[in-house]
Amino acid sequence: MKKKILASLAALTLGGMLTNVPVMAQNAKVAYLVGITGPIAGLAPTMVQSMKFAAEQVNTQGGIGKGGKIDYSVYDSGCNPQLATDAATKAVNINGAIGMVGPSCSGEVIAVANSVTVPAGVLLITSSGTSPKISTLDDKDLVFRTVPSDDYQGRALARTLKAHGTDKVAMTYLNNDYGLGLAEAFSDEFKKLGGTITASRAHEDKKPSYRSDLAELAKGGADTLVIFAYGNSSGLTIVRQAMENGFFKNFIGADGMRDESVIKALGDENLKNYLVSAPVGATGAGFEKFSKEFKAAGGDPNGTFAATSYDASFLMALAIEKAGGDKAKLSKALREVGSGQGEAILPGEWAKAKQLIAEGKPLHYLGASGDLHFDEHGDVAGNYALYKVSGNAFVEVEKIK
Amino acid sequence: MIEFFNFYVVPGIVTGSVYALGAIGITLIFGILRFGHFAHGDLATTGAYLALGATALLGLTPWVALPVAMILTALLAYGIHRLFYRHLESRPKILTVMASLGIGMMLRSIVQVVWGVDPLAYGSGIARAQSFGGLMLRPREIATLALTLALVAALLAFLRYSKWGKAMRAMSDNPDLARLCGVNNDQVTRLTWFIVGTLAAASGFCLGINTELTTMMGWSAMLSMFAAAVLGGVGRVEGAVVGGLVIGLAEELSVLLVPSPYKSATAFVILLAILLLRPQGIFKGKVL
Repeated sequence: MKKKILASLAALTLGGMLTNVPVMAQNAKVAYLVGITGPIAGLAPTMVQSMKFAAEQVNTQGGIGKGGKIDYSVYDSGCNPQLATDAATKAVNINGAIGMVGPSCSGEVIAVANSVTVPAGVLLITSSGTSPKISTLDDKDLVFRTVPSDDYQGRALARTLKAHGTDKVAMTYLNNDYGLGLAEAFSDEFKKLGGTITASRAHEDKKPSYRSDLAELAKGGADTLVIFAYGNSSGLTIVRQAMENGFFKNFIGADGMRDESVIKALGDENLKNYLVSAPVGATGAGFEKFSKEFKAAGGDPNGTFAATSYDASFLMALAIEKAGGDKAKLSKALREVGSGQGEAILPGEWAKAKQLIAEGKPLHYLGASGDLHFDEHGDVAGNYALYKVSGNAFVEVEKIK
Repeated sequence: MIEFFNFYVVPGIVTGSVYALGAIGITLIFGILRFGHFAHGDLATTGAYLALGATALLGLTPWVALPVAMILTALLAYGIHRLFYRHLESRPKILTVMASLGIGMMLRSIVQVVWGVDPLAYGSGIARAQSFGGLMLRPREIATLALTLALVAALLAFLRYSKWGKAMRAMSDNPDLARLCGVNNDQVTRLTWFIVGTLAAASGFCLGINTELTTMMGWSAMLSMFAAAVLGGVGRVEGAVVGGLVIGLAEELSVLLVPSPYKSATAFVILLAILLLRPQGIFKGKVL
């Protein structure tokens, strides 16, 4: 037995010497956590695609450091804090990722940051976790996002509705960090502007019937229902049952309700009074460049969170390059590329960015979703638009502030 | 008053029928094969998606596709028994229970691979209700109730009057004694799985046609179905029906008293109360 072990050891050493593997260039391990299953599964494919697209651009234009690559792995976080924590533990503590893009849902971001990435000193950039609660995490400056906080979206939506002459609404929201965050911001702003919220009820996901909830909501006499939920889950069931029973005439949602599933299931002819707010890719040079290249690669640049996911992935690469692959310096490096100072780098301009970093010159990233300038919470300001249903897609009605 | 019926009682009864169809399957497996079948919700999901597949591939209308799905799901249920559960029959029952959890995940994943994770529907658009003297009902709701009634009546008659039904009841009472009296336990088991698969497909289909098809729908509904089966009395078909209706109504009516996020919890409060106060259930089933 001993002989056998010795022999195999010798063979291994010999084999190693013979093949003479060159020292591997330093790859940077990055984890992409996306809710591939679960309530936002409809949005996930585009998000994963644009994250990978950014990494591929980096890798084909010189990669990281001297001959290294972005070594990314995609994990399913299920839009569920428990699954996300498991996936993050695997990514960070077992596979040794130094940076994380995602997870997708707000509750997941909070759970993963608290229990995995912040204790391990890993930088986290979410491209779709929008809860206001993420801003105030005790995160040692390790949690960032390329998507604006819902606090902003909720307030902008309230202002827009009020400006359009809606004074009375009923509101229902999913009982999680996403729904609650939006609902609080919306109702605060709407009431401040003199609007009335006739009824406000949280609801639980995945129930077959919400008719009793809707009957309670309709009692206040409002004909507009504001829904902060997901359009391929409880949000869809609620809109369907509200329409079928004539509880409400107008439906207002946020980005979670901007889901093509709603159009497919209910038909665009029934969705004349269905309006949703969602973040937009800025119309600037950054978005145009991203839009053209992503389309050429077979992606949908207007997909929900496509631009922000691209930016999160690209910023992660910039921070890694800037920090020289040092995990401890990532957060400081990200602040530098997101400070708004120095030469502008557009999406896909990796070779140029690499050159500037090598020369030690300042640069800032002018992203697909806008000028990404992080505030002290690691948040960015928002660009939102109101969308309506036309044909089989959501089209922009107006920008909202 | 009529609003109370339209928006609380009718949805409660429709949801309750879905729970009832599922609970019958659970209670039959519990009663005859003596284990909690945690793949039941996902079996229902699979049945619903098979019906969707039949509408797409064969161009059938949903209600015509249902019998096709029922037959396929019956075969599937029996196949699962042959492939997995049968090998665990002589081992402690807890192994079969755990295995069924795994089967449930497998079924769900297969559905996700084949049909994707986006919600689907048997038809696009919305169906407004017709008024029956103020009572608002949709055709699909009437059909759901009729289907539930028909299936339950057929099953009860079968269990009471046919030779095989009597054999099933005998095995439920005491499998060893039944075998001594010449009941072929293997065949009764096979028959049970056919019936269970048929009913699971029906419950999944009714759930899907009244809302949407999602890959998690059966799993989410299953906890309520278990509550219904225990509430009615384990092993009692009529108990499962009453239990399903009680749970369905309780969930909808709970909104009047407690905040809606506690809707799902209502089923468990009832389940707890039943286990504490009357563990044999309403209809005197087996004590767990």
